[in-house]
Amino acid sequence: MSVLEYAANGLVFSSIIVLASIGLSLVYSIANFANFAHGDTMTVGAYATLVTFGAVGTLGGVVLGIPYGFFVALLVGVVVAALVAVVTHKVIYEPIDLDSIGLLITSIGVAFVYRATVRLGFGADFTEFGIQVLRPIEWLIPYGVRVTLHDVAIVGSAVVLVAGLHTLLQYTDLGRKMRATADNPDLARVSGIRTNRIEIWTWIIGAGLAGAGGGFLGLFNQLSPRMGFDILLVVFAAVILGGIGSVYGAMLGGFLIGMINQMTPLLSDIGIPIGIEYANAVAFVIMVLVLLARPTGIMGEAAS
Amino acid sequence: MSASTGVIERDADEDVVLSVENVDSGYGDVQVLDDLSMTLAEDEIACLVGPNGAGKSTVLKTVFGMLTPWTGHVKYHGDDIGGMAPEDIVRTGIGYVPQTENVFGNLTIEENLRMGGVARSDDLDPIIDQLYDRFPLLTEKQSAKARTLSGGQRQVLAFARALVMEPDVLLIDEPSAGLAPNTADEVFADVQAVNELGTAILMVEQNARKGLAISDKGFVLDQGTVAYADDADGLLDNPEVSRLYLGG
Repeated sequence: MSVLEYAANGLVFSSIIVLASIGLSLVYSIANFANFAHGDTMTVGAYATLVTFGAVGTLGGVVLGIPYGFFVALLVGVVVAALVAVVTHKVIYEPIDLDSIGLLITSIGVAFVYRATVRLGFGADFTEFGIQVLRPIEWLIPYGVRVTLHDVAIVGSAVVLVAGLHTLLQYTDLGRKMRATADNPDLARVSGIRTNRIEIWTWIIGAGLAGAGGGFLGLFNQLSPRMGFDILLVVFAAVILGGIGSVYGAMLGGFLIGMINQMTPLLSDIGIPIGIEYANAVAFVIMVLVLLARPTGIMGEAAS
Repeated sequence: MSASTGVIERDADEDVVLSVENVDSGYGDVQVLDDLSMTLAEDEIACLVGPNGAGKSTVLKTVFGMLTPWTGHVKYHGDDIGGMAPEDIVRTGIGYVPQTENVFGNLTIEENLRMGGVARSDDLDPIIDQLYDRFPLLTEKQSAKARTLSGGQRQVLAFARALVMEPDVLLIDEPSAGLAPNTADEVFADVQAVNELGTAILMVEQNARKGLAISDKGFVLDQGTVAYADDADGLLDNPEVSRLYLGG
């Protein structure tokens, strides 16, 4: 395998990590706690996509080797993930009214509930969307890059979603209010922002992106009740590397961690006996090294 | 004290916009305000002075809904607003400039001002243009992040953010805190200018003499209650107040 191929795989994996990281960071900065149920929110999105895809099936035509029906199903997965998160917020996090550590621990319990529910419904085994596996794109093979149109679809969709989020944050009223609330919640209320509504929008957007990430993760690998939980640590690493609480930091951190993760085989290629099974460990070591130099993460700010 | 009580009675007959009546308040279980009463009339500047921990900032926080009065009433134009949320109080016509962290550091100056007007339903451009005219330094830095501003510039921005709502009453917590003397004087001049345009101001000020010098009346707080209330000159001339609270 070539460096280009690792980089291409890195780009695909990064896309998924970025989608998950943004939501984790948004919720951290506005709801003010590290949400350990975020990975399982991805799982919820993935399985909601699976169920819907089963129902709408091969609706219409095919784009990039993916039936239109999958995108419809993915949209449903996004909506279900957002809905589950908002209901959890209203029924559990808001009434329980704990500090950020209390909410963090609560979210671990919530994660178990999500995961167990998925497992009760679908069993513990791996499953797939059942979309036909594609052959690598022909004209890229001579360059040593074996990627499929599915991979292109994942990266393209992630780019569209990230660009959409950027537009929302920078150029819309809701986005400005979200940034203001993340910056200084007390001043936001003093200014007249109804921060409880902003918090609900944050859950919708954060969990929705996680749901999309989950759907793509299922397409990239397979689905299992542990899929989101297994990736959560990597997502945390990405968010912390980028600077926790910074959405743009989460994007950068997600990109870097995803790349590092998939580039790990390069080490054995150049004679360093560290295999792919250490991919996460390598990513974490690099995260620790960065934090030693810059404790608030790459784009994080010193706590005031 | 009888003379100062007389001042309060007289004000109560005028156009009182804001009144605090026998309020107890505090943080969690810790009581700070103890049966505190005071009034603010239209077009007036009132200054709260007193030692650290007397409860000056707590008065503003209780008026603005960040703390709920345990007992007593906070009335705005006669309506009880005690216990309303800040985001609702700002819609009634009261503004608040906190002492610290009073700008959105990661937002631009322009965005800070727009956030100040989220509760307005009309077009914000005219009022924001007016504020740029009044505070030219903000115009120069429109698209700079607020965290790049100096202390005095931040205070001006914090002030301007609250003015986007064109409030009837503005609560200001220690406008001169941490500022160099000449910068503080500029901020005080801004406070007076805003007042002259018809906004009543309730201000907490550590620098009691300077604060009172631009005020119509003052309240000396001690241990959560009003120890002295008089017009500002009366307090400045009162030898007892001077000795106990104004540093001789």
